[in-house]
Parts: sequence; C-alpha cells; structure tokens
Amino acid sequence: MPKLLLIEDDDITAAEIASDLRWRGFGVEIAADGIEGLKQAREGSWDVIVIDRMLPGCDGLTVLKTLRGESNKVPALILSAMGHVDERVRGLRAGGDDYLSKPFSLVELAARVEALLRRPAASRETLLRVGPLELDLITSTATRGRRSLDLLQREFKLLEYLVRREGQVVTPAMLFEEVWNYNFMPRTNLIHVHMGRLRRKLDGPDETPLIETVRGIGYTLHAPA
Amino acid sequence: MPRLDLFRTTAFRWAMTLAAAFTGLSIILFAFVYWQTAHYERAQLDDMLRHEAKVIAEDPANAVQALKTWLREDIHSVRYGILVAHDGVAQAGNMPALPKDLWPDGKPQYASTEAQDADGDERGEKIRALGLKLLDGRTLGLGNDTDALEHVSVVIIRALGLGLGPMVVLSLLGGALLGRRALGRVTVLSKAIAEIREGRLSGRLPLTGRRDEFDRLATDINAMMDEIERLLDEVRSVGDSIAHDLRTPLTRARTRLERSRNVVTTPAEFAAAIDEAMGWLDQTFAVITAVLRIGEIEHGRRRAAFQSVDLGQILVEAAELYDPVAEDREITVRVGVDQASAATAMGDRDLLFEAVANLLDNAIKFTPRGGHVMLSLVERDGSAVVTVADDGPGIAEADRKRVLERFYRAERSRQREGVGLGLSLVAAIATLHGFRLTIGDNHPGCRVELVCPGSTVALRKVGPIKSDLVNQGAI
Repeated sequence: MPKLLLIEDDDITAAEIASDLRWRGFGVEIAADGIEGLKQAREGSWDVIVIDRMLPGCDGLTVLKTLRGESNKVPALILSAMGHVDERVRGLRAGGDDYLSKPFSLVELAARVEALLRRPAASRETLLRVGPLELDLITSTATRGRRSLDLLQREFKLLEYLVRREGQVVTPAMLFEEVWNYNFMPRTNLIHVHMGRLRRKLDGPDETPLIETVRGIGYTLHAPA
Repeated sequence: MPRLDLFRTTAFRWAMTLAAAFTGLSIILFAFVYWQTAHYERAQLDDMLRHEAKVIAEDPANAVQALKTWLREDIHSVRYGILVAHDGVAQAGNMPALPKDLWPDGKPQYASTEAQDADGDERGEKIRALGLKLLDGRTLGLGNDTDALEHVSVVIIRALGLGLGPMVVLSLLGGALLGRRALGRVTVLSKAIAEIREGRLSGRLPLTGRRDEFDRLATDINAMMDEIERLLDEVRSVGDSIAHDLRTPLTRARTRLERSRNVVTTPAEFAAAIDEAMGWLDQTFAVITAVLRIGEIEHGRRRAAFQSVDLGQILVEAAELYDPVAEDREITVRVGVDQASAATAMGDRDLLFEAVANLLDNAIKFTPRGGHVMLSLVERDGSAVVTVADDGPGIAEADRKRVLERFYRAERSRQREGVGLGLSLVAAIATLHGFRLTIGDNHPGCRVELVCPGSTVALRKVGPIKSDLVNQGAI
C-alpha cells in the first residue's frame, strides 16, 4: 500500500481527498499546516507527498524547498488555487514534481499521484508492448497483431502515453499537457474526439477495444484479457 | 471663505514672499543711499572745518577776530569754536572749554561738547570737530553739529517708510485678491469633486475656458473620470454577467440535486444525477477560471515568460487539435502559411496557442455543416498577420467591437454553449503582446485578424508551404 502524506489546511478538503485516496488503496496521513507537514515529511517514509501551495505556518513551497535541500527526493504534487503558468513554474522549481490547480477532480488527483509513483518506470526502452499492441519508438510505427496501424504523429504520441501508463486512468488535462505540450484546457470534448479517432484506427472490426473511457474522468488502456 | 484658508493659498504665500523680498531689497538699497549721502555730507563738513582752521592758523594774530567772525556768520547756530591760550584760558568762542576727546592733530573727528551751543539749549552734543595747535602755542577748536547727518537718516527712513508701507499693503491686497481667486476656483472644483464622490459619477469639473493651469488640471481629471466611469460600467456589467452566468448552472445543479434526493432510488440514478450536477459545477468553474485568466493577462503579469514563438507552428498545431471536431461537423479547415511560415514573435507560447485555438473554436462553432475555415499566416508591411476566416453567419458590424468585451455574446450565439469570454480572452492576449485584433467581413462569414507588429518574418525561398498535416491529408 503506497504511503501518502497530505499537507492541506482546509480540513473538509483534506478529509475528502484522504477518504478518496484511501478508497483507492493509499495509506494517507494528514498534516494541517506547513510546520507539522515538514515534521511529518522528515519523520515518516512516504511514497508521495501531496502539498497545498498556501499553508499556515510555513507555505508549501518553503516546505518543499526545505525537503529538497535535505536531499529528500520523495515525489511531490503541489495543489494550488493559483494555476497560472508562472505559479506552476515556481512550484516545479521549488521541487514539486507535478502541479494541480484547484478546483480539481479527485480522480485527476489520483491519476496524477499514480503517474508520479510510476514515473521511474518510464523506461528508455524503444519497443513498447501491451498485449497485441507494439510500438517502435525509433521508427514511430505501431502494430496490433500483424496489422500495421496508420497513425498520425500526434496519434502515435497519444498512444505511447497511454501505453506507458497501461491500466492507469489518464485525464484529458494530463494528455493535453503531456502530448500536446500546452498549458491550457481546451474544450473538454476535443481530447475525446481525438481519442475516438485513435480508437477507430486501433480496433479492427472483431478486435477487443483497447482504450476504455472512464466516464466523466478520462481514459485507460488495457491489454485484452 | 475662512480667512485662514485664504492665507494658506499658494497665491497669497507667493505675494507675501515677494513682498518680503522687495522689502529686504529696498532696505538694502536705502541703507546704501544713506551711507553714500552721509559720507558726502561728512566730507563737506570736514572740508569746511579744515578750510576754516587753515585760514585762522595762517594768521594767528587775528585768530580771535577770525573765530568770532566765523561764529557770527553762523545763522543756523550749528557751529562751535574755541581758542584756548597755552594756560588753558579760553580767549574766544562759544564753548566753555576744548572738548576733552578732541585731539589737536588737525584731522576732523567726532567729539562731544560740554557746553551750551549758541542757543544755550544743548549739552554734551556729538559734533564733528577739528583741533589744531597754532604756531603761537594756542589751541584752536572748531566744530559743527551733526544735525545735517541726522536729517539725512530721518529723510531716508521716512522715504523708506513712505515707499515700503504702500508696497506691503498693496502686496497684501494683491496676494489676498489672487488667493481669493485661486481659492474660489479650488472651492468650485472641490464642490464638483465632492458631488462626484457622493456618487454622481457622471459629474465633471467645470472649465472656465481661460485655459489656465486650473482648466488644464480639470480637463485631465475629467478625462480620468471618463475612464473610471467606463471601467466601473464595465465592472458592473461584468459583475452582472458573472452573476448571471454562474447562477444558471448553479441553479441547475441545485435543483438537480434536490430533485434527486427526493426521487432517485437506484445507485445508477444517483450516479447520473451527481454526474450531471458535477457538469454544472464544472461550468461555473470554467467561468471563474476564464475571468481570472483574463484579469491575470490584463495585468500583464505573464510578460516575464515571453520567448520567441513560431507562429506557423502554432497555427498548424491548433488546426491539428481542432481537426477531428471540424471533421465531425464536416467543416474543412485549411492552413495556409505562405513565406511567413517562418514568422516568429516574442510572446507566451501557451497564450498565443490559446488565442488561436479560441478563434478556431469560434469559427468551427459558428460555421454551418459543410462550411470552410481558413487559417492563414501571411506577411503584411513587415508584420506577420494571423487570419482566421470562416464562411459562417459572420458578426454584424454593430457587434464587432462589443464581442471583444467580457461576457458579451451576440444575440444569435446566446443559445450556444460557452461563456462569452473567448473573444475577450483573445483580445486580452493580443493587448498583452501588443498585437492588433480586428474583426471584419469575409463576404460571407467572419474574418478575424491578429496583426503582430514586431514579429520577425523570415522570407522563404520556396513558394507556398503547406503544413505537414495538409500533406498527410489530415486537413
């Protein structure tokens, strides 16, 4: 069970986040302010820290900077009401590994936390495989079984991102940030339409669909059973 | 008008300062005149004394007679004289003794008489005198009173008084007059300002038409008031619009939740109700986020993150992002980038992409099924020009300016989704970058241009370039 430290001063938000993450199988401890959070972060052994940007006592960025200064490398996700690019940059420079602006959906948070936990697994392999699906990163070609897939460059990147996170839920925001590399949220159904197009190319007439839509949340790629 | 206020006016203070300066200068001038006149008078006296002493000394035998004659000729009773024998006895003259402080060296000096003058009424008077030892051993003392010198100072002080008095009074009057006038204008302006402060925002400061400093100041303040009034109107209408745009989805969410609580029985129905309510809440967040973003962009805080941005690439990527949506609606999106495909501008890449994406989003949203959207980047007068043109219904000329305002939605677009912030967001982004956003007619349809002065346009030798996407058949 991955251990997660949540440093958040609003107790209702903290309780909601904690119970959602516990339900998803995380062991969650809550710290209500920066000083307490720093103390717990130093004392415990955590798999991931979720930290609010603005905290009483000692603000989130200071806590992170202090931890990083002490060579504490535990992955950290910053939660903030300030979602502007320069704020994100400041957050990431202070030692955050990801940045999520409020309001956010719990599933987006969970998906990002899982992505943080999986990060080291993002290997340098050049051949990715999930079930019948095979991606050659060098030639940018993809095959499903013996069928070669005719993918546009962006579709290939989209598929690569999903393949690397096999079984994980990815949200449209994550896809837009990582695949398109832009930091703003376009109309939500845009990504859905792109995904639809990718699916049509991915799944042949009698084949099991590989990409599953998680309603209201995002997408996940599974190898067929 | 309280008197204290008048004395505090700049005009009055200036008048007083000038009066004080003139008084000081006048005193210095009169002192100089007095010094010169007194010097002249004294020199005259000294000459006269020296001359008389010389005449008497040249003929000691007739000294007594000469002294008496000299004293007799003194019709103004200003002369003093004495001839003292070597035994100290006065032989002639109108002084009982030689003044003790008179040094008989033949040089004119100040001395004090110890006796009455010819009128017998003054004692111990300060005089200008000369003492001289005659060849026969007697001592001659001659003197003249200094009334003439004193008169000079009296006359000069009187002249000073006569000149300065009216000047100070006139300065005071002038200062008071000027101060009163200034104070009058200030009072009028203060009253107008007080009325504005009390809420009559349409009020303006009155102008006299004299084009003086007060008029200039009032004109500037009036211009400022115009701007403040415009901004307040905007804030008010934005506030109303935000309230309206938030109230709608929040009401929907609330009623949906309330109804579900009473009616819904199965978990699936609950989930559906919650999903729907979350959708409405997301819409409220979208409004708030958009308003915050515009505010942030308008404050120009993002300028720090400016970098060189490839405009052609942004166009191609935006077209690619919207391509599947356009395809669904059977709308053809074309990207035309001519030699300006190598255009770069200093800017925020995310924001510029957002601006182009918003324009494209609008174009696709309003273009009817089977329509066309053209996205192009050309060079005009040294600037790169991004154009998004469609053949949809277009924007009525009267609406073209207003669509850039926050929350304004042309009537026919009211029914469509969106919060009416798209174009104002684009306008804010354009302003931040110093770009010009114009909305025109595409005959038919809408044609939005983003003119980017300061962009660097590198000419390409090859003719029209098509994006990779076009080549791949995606567009």
